[in-house]
Amino acid sequence: MARNRTYNRKNIFIIMVMIMLAAAGLSVRLGYLMVFKSEEYAVRAQALHERERPIKAERGRIFDINGVEIAANKPVCTISVIHSQITEPERVISVLSSLLGLSEETVRKRVEKVSSIERIKSNVNKEVADKIREYDLDGVMVDEDYKRYYPYGSLASKVIGFTGSDNQGVIGLEVKYEEYLKGSPGTILTLTTAYGVEIENAAEDRIEPVPGHDLYISLDVNIQKYAEQAALKVMQSKNADNVKLIVMNPQDGRLYAMVNVPEFDLNDPYRLIDEIASQYEGMTLTDEQENILLNGMWRNACISDTYEPGSAFKIVTATAALEEGVVKLDDRFFCPGYKRVEDRTIRCHKAGGHGSQDFIQGIKNSCNPVFMEIGARVGVDNMYKHYRRLGLFEKTGIDLPGEANSIMHKKEIIKAVELATMSFGQSFQITPLQLLTSASAVVNGGRLVTPHFGVRTVSPDQSSIKELDYKITDNAVSKETSETMKMLLEEVVRDGTGRRAYLPGFRVGGKTATSEKLPRSSNKYISSFIGFAPADNPQVIALVLIDEPVGIYYGGTVAAPVIADLFDNILPYMGIEERYSEDDIQKFKVGSFTVPDFTGKTRKEVKDLLKIYDFGELYPIGDGDIVIEQFPLPGESVNRDSPLVLYYGGG
Amino acid sequence: MGRIAADTSRKRIHRYYDYSLLFLTLFLVCFGLVMIYSTSSYNAQRVYRNPTHYLEKQALFAGVGILIMLFISKIDYRLYFKSIKKIRINMVILLYVLCLFLQIYVLIFGEVVNGAKRWISLGSLGKFQPSELTKIAVILFTAYIVNMAPRKLDKFTGFLRVLLFISPLLGLIVVENFSTALIICIIMVAICFIASKKKAYFIISGVALAAVGFLFIYFVSYRSERIAVWLNVETEPKGYQILQGLYAIASGGIFGKGLGESMQKLGFIPESHNDMIFSVICEELGLFGAIALILLFILFIWRIFIIAINAPDLLGGLIATGVLAHIASQVLINIAVVTNTIPSTGITLPFISYGGSSVMVLLVEMGIVLSISNQIRVER
Repeated sequence: MARNRTYNRKNIFIIMVMIMLAAAGLSVRLGYLMVFKSEEYAVRAQALHERERPIKAERGRIFDINGVEIAANKPVCTISVIHSQITEPERVISVLSSLLGLSEETVRKRVEKVSSIERIKSNVNKEVADKIREYDLDGVMVDEDYKRYYPYGSLASKVIGFTGSDNQGVIGLEVKYEEYLKGSPGTILTLTTAYGVEIENAAEDRIEPVPGHDLYISLDVNIQKYAEQAALKVMQSKNADNVKLIVMNPQDGRLYAMVNVPEFDLNDPYRLIDEIASQYEGMTLTDEQENILLNGMWRNACISDTYEPGSAFKIVTATAALEEGVVKLDDRFFCPGYKRVEDRTIRCHKAGGHGSQDFIQGIKNSCNPVFMEIGARVGVDNMYKHYRRLGLFEKTGIDLPGEANSIMHKKEIIKAVELATMSFGQSFQITPLQLLTSASAVVNGGRLVTPHFGVRTVSPDQSSIKELDYKITDNAVSKETSETMKMLLEEVVRDGTGRRAYLPGFRVGGKTATSEKLPRSSNKYISSFIGFAPADNPQVIALVLIDEPVGIYYGGTVAAPVIADLFDNILPYMGIEERYSEDDIQKFKVGSFTVPDFTGKTRKEVKDLLKIYDFGELYPIGDGDIVIEQFPLPGESVNRDSPLVLYYGGG
Repeated sequence: MGRIAADTSRKRIHRYYDYSLLFLTLFLVCFGLVMIYSTSSYNAQRVYRNPTHYLEKQALFAGVGILIMLFISKIDYRLYFKSIKKIRINMVILLYVLCLFLQIYVLIFGEVVNGAKRWISLGSLGKFQPSELTKIAVILFTAYIVNMAPRKLDKFTGFLRVLLFISPLLGLIVVENFSTALIICIIMVAICFIASKKKAYFIISGVALAAVGFLFIYFVSYRSERIAVWLNVETEPKGYQILQGLYAIASGGIFGKGLGESMQKLGFIPESHNDMIFSVICEELGLFGAIALILLFILFIWRIFIIAINAPDLLGGLIATGVLAHIASQVLINIAVVTNTIPSTGITLPFISYGGSSVMVLLVEMGIVLSISNQIRVER
């Protein structure tokens, strides 16, 4: 047996020394990595472990002028699954498919997909989400979220607009005020494993989301409702294509209502409304076609579409003529039913002509030859000067996206014929809102206002309130001309073409219009009426456009009653008091009286009494001869024409 | 004379037993289990829905291994080299032949894991890696051959003779497992080195070995790729695992994140309980923990060294040195790989990394070393 000699031991020692040197070297290397490289690598490792998860900010709400919520948020939930955390896949599939109303295979596909996180369904109602939460299934995540919700459904749909999948505004005020409404999303910085699974109890960096500011607008839900009802009523009765109706405060440009019927449902904006869908029944639409139809449905025609304003534009022509002093109210005109301009014969709407009339009668009759005459007196240059002052070459600046501008002739090419047609509102196009804004300037003492909805934005904690300002340009029209125009337009309603807009107790001014749609051979019309009240100090101005009414299409017949109907509803609501003139009391039997005591009177006596008092319908009840009870009670004050109920007995 | 003889006989002769090495071994095994639980629980939960899946398996092998170690440590190691009467050959040669057979078997019937054919399936018991057993065979067989004629190692031809005996095993292993072949070479060279008086040819053979290694690296595509990864670990896509290991090591800093707090083990380092376990130790225990572990290994190797130089005969010294070379080379290469000091090669950290065959074989080796220590006679 060989012995372990000294040199063997020395050799082992050499090996040992080599090992220790290598170990020392590696320790140095470790020290380098863990001390000097630590920061650099640790930062990169940290970046690998951290995931940013956004927290959605609650979008600001929209309130009407009275503080009624018209765009709100409702809490909804997003259901997702984390594949690696699921312990009972079959139970998860059955619970989710039954509660979420999804097919089993859809859920199965997502549950069995190997991914870090898979979304099953978003916009799930809170009640359903709470039920899912109660099951306490491993690997099923319920995340809270907000969904935009419009309590009034289709009300002012094209004005308010709606939001898309990421809660961003798509059309309307939701787009225009996106910056204020959206707020800023927060983030949660979490640590996750390589499979994207969050580590519980790991220190989180959380940046809280900042909710958006609330928006208060001048729209009044009640006025909008009245306006929509009135518009819908006329659309149905006249079988019209659509009806636009704008209600504004002419003094400062605050818009109370803007109607484009048919409206669409803001809570389901991607479904074509029946009016459109019925035209394409049985057809399968391509995505592109459907997109075009949807865009048409969402279009706010009050500001995006232009039309020939027709006779309503005579307000502008008359204003220009009065401003230039080329016409006096007692100037005489003669209308033979047409006017020759150069080589053209331009007809008045009344075939036989209006005959001899002064300027007041001319505007009451809406006589075309009168306006061709005064248009010619004003001349192209001055006419365009007044167009410009009344803002007809510029967009109104309304706080809604997609506003169109007017389409006007180049001044150089305007000859007598063009000037003549322009004088009664033809051969150029403006938007309904431009007409309303110009007319407002005419009747409000000459101030060109910026029509708008936005009034102020308010931060969620009320700490920051921003009042929104709009441009007002003074002296678009002189005070005198404005006063004259108010008087003239009131005359139009009192007994001119606009008399169907007459409202007893209120002073209403206005102008009718019947625009031929282009091409003129199509025989399609837009009946419209622009009206304001009270005529001496206008608090409200409204314009209605009835597109393609079937049957009678004269603005005075079709459109004026719509405004009368609307004003009848909204003027008392707005706190504008009725002031009946003597004529009104006579003509419309308005006024009140005190109810006399009928009890104990015989039928004969009653008959005599009723000759004195202006009761309406009489409802005698019972067989007797003596009145034992009456309604209304004696001493009560009732309106004229009120019904009377009498109970007879005894005898 | 009588008095002297009487004095001598009165001196009690003790059989030594290196308890410090035994306890160091047990400590390393237990520390290994703790770290395996720490590194593997996340993946075990994710894949097997049982966080202690890997821990249980490893603890089973370690437990059985420790019993085997204690048993072997009480057997005189010289027994293995004595001829068995009837067949006239000793157990070491039998082991050598068995390993040859298993290595051929695994090349033909072996189970492929991660693209390498290295395992023999044992059914429900799991998998067995014969190359681990081969390491014991090489230690014992090399020591046996060298011990038969230690003086021959003074010449280069003597070394070649040893190489010739080992080359069948080496050849079979290098096909599928370069790293183990490297360890086996180191063991063989270390044993030969101890036996030789003259060492000049070791430098020559070292150069020759390096040349062979170079050829292997450059002519086998995936190995040359590893060189590229090593040089550009941050940009090469295949350097992912090493880079993640470096992130783990670096984010540990001086004091570490605390036991169990590693982020990188959560799927960022694939199979962090295997070769890359040291990087997680660094992340959790910091530079202090890592250096402490290296010192622990140095202390452990030092104890084997003490046994090797005090072995009762050359054979014991050679075997102890073989074990020493085996463990030291694995520790150093493993740490060098995870710190990207050398190109990546799949070598586990002894006692700590997950692997049933590995821990069993290491414990058997420790049993043999302890049995060598048990043959040391100490006068008191």
